[in-house]
Amino acid sequence: MNLGTRKLLDRSFTALGIGSIVIMAMTLLIVLVPIVTNGLGALVFKGTIEHRKMLAAEFNRGDRAELERQTALADSSRKPVYAMMAAFEQELTGMDEPRRQQYQQQYAQVRSAIQTLLGPIPGDPLPALTRSQYGQTRWEKAEERLHEVLYEKKWDYSNPDAPAKEYSVSRAAGFEGTSLVKLFPYVEKNIDRMLMPEWTLYWGFITDSSVDAHIFGGIWPEIQGTLFLAIGAMLFAFPLGVVAAIYFTEYAREGFFTSVLRSANSTLAGVPSIVFGLFGLAFFINTLKVSESKSVLAGSLTLAIMILPTIIRAAEEAILSVPKTYKEASLSLGSTKWNTIVTVILPAALPGIITGGVISLGRAAGETAPIIFTAAVSVGSAIGLADVFSSPTPALSWNIYNLASEHEAASEIRHVQYGMVLSLVTIVLLLNLSAIVLRARISQKLKG
Amino acid sequence: MKLFKKIFLGAAVFGLVASTDAFAAGNKIVMDGSTTVGPIAKAFASSFTKSTGVQVTVSESGSGNGAKSLINKTCDIANMSRSMKDNELAAARGKGVNPVEHVVALDGLAMIVHPSNRVNALSKAQIRGIYMGRYTNWSQVGGPNAPIVMIQRESNSGTQDSFKELVMGKENPISKRAETQASNGAIKSRVASTPNAIGFVGLGFADNSVKALLVDGVEPDARTVKNGTYPIHRALFMYTNGQPSGVVKQFIDMPKTAEGKQIISEIGFVNYY
Repeated sequence: MNLGTRKLLDRSFTALGIGSIVIMAMTLLIVLVPIVTNGLGALVFKGTIEHRKMLAAEFNRGDRAELERQTALADSSRKPVYAMMAAFEQELTGMDEPRRQQYQQQYAQVRSAIQTLLGPIPGDPLPALTRSQYGQTRWEKAEERLHEVLYEKKWDYSNPDAPAKEYSVSRAAGFEGTSLVKLFPYVEKNIDRMLMPEWTLYWGFITDSSVDAHIFGGIWPEIQGTLFLAIGAMLFAFPLGVVAAIYFTEYAREGFFTSVLRSANSTLAGVPSIVFGLFGLAFFINTLKVSESKSVLAGSLTLAIMILPTIIRAAEEAILSVPKTYKEASLSLGSTKWNTIVTVILPAALPGIITGGVISLGRAAGETAPIIFTAAVSVGSAIGLADVFSSPTPALSWNIYNLASEHEAASEIRHVQYGMVLSLVTIVLLLNLSAIVLRARISQKLKG
Repeated sequence: MKLFKKIFLGAAVFGLVASTDAFAAGNKIVMDGSTTVGPIAKAFASSFTKSTGVQVTVSESGSGNGAKSLINKTCDIANMSRSMKDNELAAARGKGVNPVEHVVALDGLAMIVHPSNRVNALSKAQIRGIYMGRYTNWSQVGGPNAPIVMIQRESNSGTQDSFKELVMGKENPISKRAETQASNGAIKSRVASTPNAIGFVGLGFADNSVKALLVDGVEPDARTVKNGTYPIHRALFMYTNGQPSGVVKQFIDMPKTAEGKQIISEIGFVNYY
């Protein structure tokens, strides 16, 4: 091959490499940017006075005096709305039958739209569900609801061959000639004063429990559950994995038995995680009965089995990469085999072992399938450390799925779901970062 | 070995922080099962924890899983949107479990379509025809010229069993072309985003992102389900092992209290008591 071709090949290979790295970075950006921006929306948003009322009532937080002042202010601008509604209700009773029926249904829609926007209408009995005790707590949702107050969504079915088209009809036009017609421009104009949006930093999203099935409040029980599960899995898997790796590298004689064990280990690493989940349910809960119900313990054990092969492989590689001369020097000084392993080989292999461990920790935190049947619930409070043996827990990975598909108000609380995704990504990222830092520090210590 | 000390110290501090936080009141209730009963169970749980301090956890994994959990004694209450089948009862007895049925609420299966669909009403026979695969185009039942995308629930679902029993009948299997979704919420969002779809969900899940059809000319709402004129109606259950006692009994009795009734109707289901 002449020099020109070789150079060309070399260059094109470099270009290919750079290209794939750029594509990877862009994919990461495309995935991460919406997660971060939407996820931050759960923490930083324009909160209305309803949000502050909710915080004061449910979490006893915020400046009471200031809240009372604001509530009084907001109520004074809401008053005309309720007065107009009361006046129209009066007017309804005086109408003749066909007209009344015509308006009654339309009015019921307006009334419920106002209720979702501003909260319970004064004089109505207090709703039992926390979600209906407050109006819209987030400004962007309030704007959507305002649109529903002002316009009615209708579908145009006139063309039988084409799918129907959506169009909006002004509700005000429907009430032409009645006293209610003034309500709509008033609400539109004074919505700011009625809801008093302010930029809010809601730290409680991380530290609060959820209220009324994640409609309000935070995700602390999920974060705590995730940490418990991941750390619990580590407590079981890490010592076991390291011991197994020591056995494989230092004690096991190469033979049929060892190679079977090794390939079993590799196979285990490739088993889909849902299989571990079902195994955990059948073995730990139904057969061993480690707990009465799903529990953090059962979930941790299942996750531990899942990450065990990775830990064993990582530890094995780390131990094998310790130079043979270390071991020989130690043995020649009269040290026993066990003493050599503990004082010479393990410390030298520690950076590699810990890196493998922390990466597995990240995987344990992010897995959904193994905990569906063994630990995760869709609603529950934060559990104490004493309860890990008996109580199931919510966990980020499972609750993200639950909020995305099963929750009855899934489309209303997308921000919570994104907040959970961001928290999970952050937890895994922090774990991996700490692995890198830890590794660097230990290597430095070993060198110096 | 300073590093090990540091790690241990960190773990100890973490443990201490976690243990000071929210110690359970000694009592707890574990619930598993139906995604239809889920919203009621979650709302009950939230109000129950607030008033009594008892920790309540709710899993939504389908009625079949609820029954299995009760049989394996891994839950206190199994939420089910159908009554227990004979083979489940037999399995329960075999394991020394005595399932006791409690009605929580009434529910109508709302047949939902995309709001852009001009069809407003179907008869039970038409719905059966659609799911058997006899009608494959909306124009055959008075709709636009578009293929019907039918959506069903997984085999684990009590809602699926109710649908089969109340609409299909024993000898009419659901067509193999039907698409399967794993929860009420998933069916709702699939229908809300698919103009030609039809699906069925519990009454409490039907909101204005989808259109609930009149069945045999009757609108699904609290009144028609309560008086039985809406043809696809059923009861929702909670099962316990033996007669409940203590906090579990208190929880099971919630649908009879004024607050419980209010919660059920606010979520969109129908009171039984």
